[in-house]
Amino acid sequence: MAPVSTHTPTLQKLLKSLRDQDLETSIEGLIFLLKRRQVRGDQCANATAHILLQVVAKSKWQSVDRLLELVTSAGSRLVQAAPHEPVIGNIVRRVLGLIRDEASEDRNADELSESVSDLQSLAPVAPPPTSAPARPGPTPITRSLTMPAAGLQVSKSMFNLLSVVDTLDSYSTGASTPVSLAQNNSVHALKSEIIDGIGEIIDEVNQADDQIAGFADIHIYPGDYILAVLPSPAVERYLIKAASRRRFTVLVASPHSQGSGAEQYSALRKKLTSAGVKMISLSTTGLMAYMPKVSKVIFGAKAVFQNGGMLVDSGCCLAARAAQEYSKPVIVLCGVYKFCPQDTATHISWTQLENPSSYVGYDDGETVDTIDIENTLAEYLPPEFVDVYVTNLGPQTQDHLGSIMADHYKPEEMSVQLGA
Amino acid sequence: MSNKQGGKPGGGAKGKKGAAKGKAGDEKREDVLQAVVLVDSFEDRFKPFTTEKPRCLLPLANVPLIEHTLEFLASNGVQEVFIYCGAHSEAIETFINESRRWSPGSILSPFSSLEFIRVSDATSVGDFMRDLDSRGVIAGDFILVHGDVVSNIELEGALAKHRARREANRDACMTMVLTSAGTRPHPIKTAQVIKPVFVICNETNRCVHYQEMNPLTPKERLRIDYSLLEICTDTEIRSDLIDAQIDICTPEVLALWSESFDYELPRKNFLSGVIKDWELNGKLIYAEVMKEGYAVRASNLALYERVSRDVLNRRVLPFAPDSNLSTDQTYKWIHAGRFYSENGVLIDRTAKVTRSALGADTNIGAGSTIERSIIGRSCVIGKDVKIKDSYIWDDAVIGDGTVVERSILANSATVGSNCHIPKGSLLSFGVQIADGKRLDSEPIPRISLLDDDGNPAKTDPSVVGEGGRGALYHESVDEDSDDEDQQHDPAVLQRTLFYSLEGMNISADSVSTFASEDSSESDDEEFIGAGSHGEEFGATRQRLSSFTSIDSNTGASDAEAFHADAVHGLVDALQGDDSGDFDSAKLEFMGLRLANNASDSMMRRAIAVAFATRASELLTPEHGGLTPAEAAKKALFSKNGALKFIKEVGVGEETGEQSEFALALQKALLGVKGLEATRAGTLLAALLQQLYSEDVLEEDGILAWWADARSSEGDGLNKIKDKCLVLVEWLENAEEDSDDDEDDEDSD
Repeated sequence: MAPVSTHTPTLQKLLKSLRDQDLETSIEGLIFLLKRRQVRGDQCANATAHILLQVVAKSKWQSVDRLLELVTSAGSRLVQAAPHEPVIGNIVRRVLGLIRDEASEDRNADELSESVSDLQSLAPVAPPPTSAPARPGPTPITRSLTMPAAGLQVSKSMFNLLSVVDTLDSYSTGASTPVSLAQNNSVHALKSEIIDGIGEIIDEVNQADDQIAGFADIHIYPGDYILAVLPSPAVERYLIKAASRRRFTVLVASPHSQGSGAEQYSALRKKLTSAGVKMISLSTTGLMAYMPKVSKVIFGAKAVFQNGGMLVDSGCCLAARAAQEYSKPVIVLCGVYKFCPQDTATHISWTQLENPSSYVGYDDGETVDTIDIENTLAEYLPPEFVDVYVTNLGPQTQDHLGSIMADHYKPEEMSVQLGA
Repeated sequence: MSNKQGGKPGGGAKGKKGAAKGKAGDEKREDVLQAVVLVDSFEDRFKPFTTEKPRCLLPLANVPLIEHTLEFLASNGVQEVFIYCGAHSEAIETFINESRRWSPGSILSPFSSLEFIRVSDATSVGDFMRDLDSRGVIAGDFILVHGDVVSNIELEGALAKHRARREANRDACMTMVLTSAGTRPHPIKTAQVIKPVFVICNETNRCVHYQEMNPLTPKERLRIDYSLLEICTDTEIRSDLIDAQIDICTPEVLALWSESFDYELPRKNFLSGVIKDWELNGKLIYAEVMKEGYAVRASNLALYERVSRDVLNRRVLPFAPDSNLSTDQTYKWIHAGRFYSENGVLIDRTAKVTRSALGADTNIGAGSTIERSIIGRSCVIGKDVKIKDSYIWDDAVIGDGTVVERSILANSATVGSNCHIPKGSLLSFGVQIADGKRLDSEPIPRISLLDDDGNPAKTDPSVVGEGGRGALYHESVDEDSDDEDQQHDPAVLQRTLFYSLEGMNISADSVSTFASEDSSESDDEEFIGAGSHGEEFGATRQRLSSFTSIDSNTGASDAEAFHADAVHGLVDALQGDDSGDFDSAKLEFMGLRLANNASDSMMRRAIAVAFATRASELLTPEHGGLTPAEAAKKALFSKNGALKFIKEVGVGEETGEQSEFALALQKALLGVKGLEATRAGTLLAALLQQLYSEDVLEEDGILAWWADARSSEGDGLNKIKDKCLVLVEWLENAEEDSDDDEDDEDSD
């Protein structure tokens, strides 16, 4: 971004003003940024998490149910504002899951501390937020990338899950219970834990690209010809990281109509060249001709669904098909936060339409009226075209996606209907 | 983007503190961006709709026009907005104040302040601007837009450039934001009727000339001030630009408006005025041509149609129906049918909808087809209806079997069954068309319940059918505007959805009264004398080689204009019956000379042509059929001071100048129509003799002309020249004679 003072509203500005602003203003601020497409793509995840953090911190709630309601309603409004950005829904579901987990732990902790305090006549009703002892709950975010440990904790969280529902029910249906000081304190404690949790989600989102790049040298070998289709920031980082260790060649494909392909990726070219890696720009339309020479195809996904199917930038499908024809491996980069618990069938609407002017504009004279153009920004890529998914938790195959989904989303969240 | 590397837990909070600090710094640097929205444009192009509702509240793609404008400002980070309303100001204020999003103080409002300013006696945009100047609410740079602009341009770059220019030079007072639309003819250009031509300096982006062209005067020429081209040596003449009249202004602009009380229109008056007077006011205006983005004013019905279609085709993203920028909208893109629809729309299974947008709670009956149309909320469309390229606003009802083509139906318009609404129809609010009525396509039906003054119109059953409501709408015609004006006013083209130039009486330039005299000069392509003037033009041609034709045309046309005016004036004076003074003609001529910055050679040529014309005219039977000698005498001597005028202005003391004048006379006589070369030669000889005898021309001058190679180029000139042989011989002899005389005297 240019350092010049700017008037244009951006996500950065919104985030800066979050603290002083009314909650509703912040939510609406983001909604209009989304509607105006001034916040798009990967930015959405970060923005959603920040806004939900504000919802938790600023709105008044005395019960977990109320909080869930508030988050769901704020979340649905964001989802509605940009129905074509699936990550928003993911983050909302993650936050809902986090709230449920924290609430159940808190409940358990409360019961524990009460029994203890009876014995020891000790004052602390709720554990101070900072000393929240190595939380047993499912916090897949902070966990190190070792899979066995994750598996272990998952099973634990599944166990918790059942008990949570019970305790939650008794908690919320016990209408006669007056709101005691203890409860008030526990609300405070819960609030700060949830806020910490959301902070972790934000960190996860921000670090995902770097973590993915950490796996670069597993897949890229010296002498490879890597075809990067419409490289996203994650892919760029991945390639740059690999370039620091290996000598290979990158072919960057971008749609011809945008013309400025070379210009668009000049920063990438500079970095790759300085690391001694050659970069060649080509048009997506002429991709097939290069395929025999290519050793791997790589691109980023906007979302990965339950079945392994993906939402990708327009043009990636073509490359994936070509790669399959020549039996070349296809690598997809995708942070875990982009995993969508929904079914694909209902989400044809995610193929967002773009401005057709880049194909036929007023420069082309009267042609403008004679052709109907649908310029889709994203397309659905079926799972059979992809060989490896590189996530921030490590490289995965299609078979393991299910377990990752299960780690991150509980059945309650999966069934949450966001948006209309 | 900058917070990609988040760090440890709690990093988020730290980041925020840093951000808060950054914000305080930002606020110091940034001043609040202000915008002025001109809602009334003092035009009547949207009649009959605007008799009831202001233009800015008419729905475009089912959203009031002004919301597009405000959203455009909001997306560019404008903080304070001033809205100038004219007609229907209450309606606009009510709309804004009741809007959840725009009402001042609403938490949804992106603006920190939004003020209405009413000017009771305003009759033009100029009055608004002068009022704004007197209020002193504008602190710094502001954006000036009209209340009907639809745009997705990012002004950031243009604003930064504007600021940089202003810092470098305080006189850089305005930046126009324009978009390029390619050189080929295309629908926006056709729709905007008036074609703006900007002459822009490549190096600095300064706009050095502005002119509006319209299709009714196709032969109009571009007239560029030559001195400006000298300042900016590298210019482009651009007629491909779309001007949505988005201007970034400094407060000085308002002062300029105040200085000139007669400026009314921001482009035609203000822009061209300021550019023309730049030597006086020193203010510079710049143009920024955006490579990306869309900006068009929906300032007439054809443009309304254009912009609606572009919004529907997503050319103005994020302004598309499914962006739902208006707060209560629920549009979705229905992929299977390729159209947009809101919640609660009922479409029969057998109906076919393509490339359209349907507002909430609209019902479409069985077997209907809807193509490239926008239909508002709660409309009822019957069975087997065909709607194509039309814009139907809220609550309209269309009966079974009706066909609607490329029309606009306003709110609550009702069309019965089996009607036909032909192309270009405009049905205003509440109009009812009876069952089975087929509207005539000529004249294009514009039907309203109100007449031009806003009074209820008498229903005309021959137009709307028995049981219908409404009458054909007519503009009340100003008495003082004559037909000539009407014909050349492009506004007639802007009142309909589309226009055709066929059948219109398009005259070329206004016919000049002295065409007959002047046409004689058209053969005379070359300017007389390859003096400084010719060189200047040669230079320009080289410099501006890419558009030689235009430039040389303008240069030549300036010279032509001077020549024609000057000759006309002189001949008139010479023809005058009274043997009065020639001084007034002389004064007029000198005035013209100063105004056009005419060179000596141009003046010489004009004078020569004038006298040659007069003299040859006297030869013709209608004017007495005088002999060449008599004609020459009469032409030169009938007016007091004419000879003196020729001597002082046309001919100088120097031999060179004298021979030039003789050459000019010779060429002028060659050019006179219906004059044989031999007779012309005799006349020339007579003229020269008279001039010689009156000491206007000296013998050296005439002899120099005789010796000049240019005087014998071509047959015509030679024939004329031959006739002067006697004179020249006589002159040569006279010289000798005089010598002899002297000798004689001496001897005496």
